[in-house]
Amino acid sequence: MDLIKHVRYFVAVAEEGHFGRAAARLGMAQPSLSQRIQRLEREYGVRLFDRTSRGAELTEGGRLMLAEARPLLERADALEGMAARVRSGAAGLLRAAVPPELDSAVVAALVSGFREGSPGVRLELRERGAQAQLAELAAGSLDAGVLRHPVDVAGLALGEVMSRPLGAVVPDDGSAPAGPLALGELTGRDLVLFPRPSGPALHDEILATCRRHGFEPGTVIAGRDPAFVTGMVLSGTAVAFAPREREVPAGAVWRELAGAPLLERVSSAWLRSRQGDPAVELFAAVVEAALAEYGGMIPVAQTVAAGRLGAPVPRLGFTV
Amino acid sequence: MSGAATGAVRTRLRAVFADAGVTGQLHALDLDSGAEVGIGADSLVSTASTHKLCLAVTVQRLADTKALDPTEQVEVPVDGRTPGGTGVAMLRDPVRMSLRDLLALALTVSDNAAADVLYDRVGLAGVNRAMTELGLTRTLAVHTGRDLLATIDEDCGGDQARLLVDPGLTTRLRVLDPERTNRSTPRELTRLLAALWHDEACTPERAAELRSMLAHQVWPHRLASGFPFDDVRVSGKTGTLPTLRHEVGVVEYPDGGRYAVAVFTRAARTAANQPAADAAIGTAARLAVESLRVPPGRGA
Repeated sequence: MDLIKHVRYFVAVAEEGHFGRAAARLGMAQPSLSQRIQRLEREYGVRLFDRTSRGAELTEGGRLMLAEARPLLERADALEGMAARVRSGAAGLLRAAVPPELDSAVVAALVSGFREGSPGVRLELRERGAQAQLAELAAGSLDAGVLRHPVDVAGLALGEVMSRPLGAVVPDDGSAPAGPLALGELTGRDLVLFPRPSGPALHDEILATCRRHGFEPGTVIAGRDPAFVTGMVLSGTAVAFAPREREVPAGAVWRELAGAPLLERVSSAWLRSRQGDPAVELFAAVVEAALAEYGGMIPVAQTVAAGRLGAPVPRLGFTV
Repeated sequence: MSGAATGAVRTRLRAVFADAGVTGQLHALDLDSGAEVGIGADSLVSTASTHKLCLAVTVQRLADTKALDPTEQVEVPVDGRTPGGTGVAMLRDPVRMSLRDLLALALTVSDNAAADVLYDRVGLAGVNRAMTELGLTRTLAVHTGRDLLATIDEDCGGDQARLLVDPGLTTRLRVLDPERTNRSTPRELTRLLAALWHDEACTPERAAELRSMLAHQVWPHRLASGFPFDDVRVSGKTGTLPTLRHEVGVVEYPDGGRYAVAVFTRAARTAANQPAADAAIGTAARLAVESLRVPPGRGA
């Protein structure tokens, strides 16, 4: 008996609560699925389902078995992923991703840095948003990623989290800027910000920080394409946030924000189960170095030590 | 409910969680028909203060067997009192109170000090034994409240403010790793609630006492926020840790429908105050419960 396959059938029937629907989902005939579930029940000597007119209901024993079956399938998928990696070029390939916003100089430094550090391992780099990276990391189709925080980091290990302050890109009205700009001075202007669905947490964090510092945007305009963002800023009513390192178009000017309230945080990330993999470790080191050298970023711990916290300390503790 | 309908509900639930910037796990159970819907219902979660529900059930069971007297008065000195923002934990002077009143504070305002007096009395092993007896084999307490707070402090190197800006620290917090802290699954906690509502977890009088305490929990922002209907009763227990927001409880409709719901969320943001993440717990619970309710005119 192919145990993993049979367990997959079991989980499908449990999830659908119905042999017919589970068979349709698995693309097999219902009698054949029924037989295989019976085979599994015989194998373990446990009745997994009560067959009723409504469908297949998990027995109490089936429920307990299901709790163990799901992690088993997850590990089997991980094993399959590992086998695919080994087959597709031994340990010779690292599949990695970077977010679309990453500076091109950082991407270039990352690729060449990896090439120099590990001639034997090929880096296959793709551009992916945070949510896609998290999904692919979990599925095992990605070995390492580069994430802009905050994202849900459960189950992940992170490389050094690097940070840099964001400033405001505003229309250049010709007057010489007198020192840093207070975020609150922007109130009433429109804000061009990436579309919220692509990163709800980061989007919310930026807007919360704006409001905390007295900047209530007139309209939040969803946009991330550089040409569009620039166009909106040049039109005279909107502002955007960017690091100092980003190129500013003619007609606009980059202004430092007083107190550095907005902090961009980026790190490499991989599944905790890949901890200690030399190629992953090299990737992490190369990402850190590229962010420092070409992104002007410093470890977030240093930002904290310097007392420049991007976020306020909660008045009360967390636990309730 | 058909498989396709279940799939549609789960898709909507995932969208609610994603929109709030959280990852969510949920199990909702019709206490009478046994109909259910879930997302990650069998994956372990770090229970945080929702584990006080397990503690409370344990206390009542021990009272049933006369292993403890709920009216016993105990001294809670200031020294050694577990800190917290509510109840005895935030008071400045010695307190003398009965065990059952400490239990009321532990459930209604999640009083950490009151809960730890009870944890010390019944022991972590006692709580775990009671859960095993109730068939909850994956529900385990390994920390009292004070141990739990101590590990956070250790893992942060004494500077909890770092949590707010350093996501790397979040990945190293033991209290966020279900393998290393108090744990359960959404399904096991709805099962515990079902036992409590069916008078199977302790004697009916003590079960009623617990249900009343859960109904008087003071927080309106999570589970209850999804049911802003004066004729629907929501009883629950919250749990909160950095990035974690949970609530487990029971929703009761005037037509007799009653549903146990366990919602566990993990936010990407570390900010302590995230109303949208709290409200997503209520919204998700309502979607789940509505999917279990038989539409009018289609009832048996």
